[in-house]
Amino acid sequence: MPKLVIEISHSPFGHENAYAALFAAMAWSSMGNEVTVVLRGEGVHTARKGQVDPFANINLPSTEKQVNELLEVGGRVVADRQALQIRGIRAEDLIPGAEVLDPEEIRRVMMECGERFLSF
Amino acid sequence: MVESSKKKTVTMMLFSAPFGSQYADHLCRVAERALDKGYAVEIFLYSDAVHAQMTEQNPKLFFPVGEAVKRLIEKGATIKSCEICSIARGYIKGELKDGKKDYSSTKVINGVNFCSIYGFVDMLSRADRVLSFGGS
Repeated sequence: MPKLVIEISHSPFGHENAYAALFAAMAWSSMGNEVTVVLRGEGVHTARKGQVDPFANINLPSTEKQVNELLEVGGRVVADRQALQIRGIRAEDLIPGAEVLDPEEIRRVMMECGERFLSF
Repeated sequence: MVESSKKKTVTMMLFSAPFGSQYADHLCRVAERALDKGYAVEIFLYSDAVHAQMTEQNPKLFFPVGEAVKRLIEKGATIKSCEICSIARGYIKGELKDGKKDYSSTKVINGVNFCSIYGFVDMLSRADRVLSFGGS
């Protein structure tokens, strides 16, 4: 199964990056391919649960909804533990199903699954 | 020079608009070098990067991205632009016209084509190498 790693390092809403990255991840996954989304730096905010309907409030898509949809179709979402800790975000603040990995584990995921790699 | 029977495809995604950063410049330079070496080059313009397709760009001091895009097309690069990103930014209407989507535009460099995100997925699927410019 062809593999793709997508890295998100921007927070949602301020930039289009997270939304566009998840849009591409969903399309790749829906074609029967394997995708891993890696959240680093400010990108860890992408998987925060409890987003209050961003579309209704600020006309921007909910990355919580996108992450949930991606997880439902078998996509993998991993967040950098160090980036979470620095920002005071706990594992339980994340959408269920999103994984928290140490930087070394993330490096391993990228090496094993990143035959194709996109950075957002 | 890569032999034609062994021609490999380099697929490049551009995510940033020209001039605000050098990502478009770098992509154009790398793409042209890859074409000169005999690689097939496919480029996807995503998000603000669709501005690279604009006609009549006239940067006085910056790298001439529009001219580079034209040259890449002349040299055989495939350039596809995100359809909904281009509709959002007013380049095309994308409405159905006689059963086909209307991609006609005077604002887009000749030879730039449009596709959905699934078109980009196809490009990624057949790529031998993937390069990403401007996402982070």
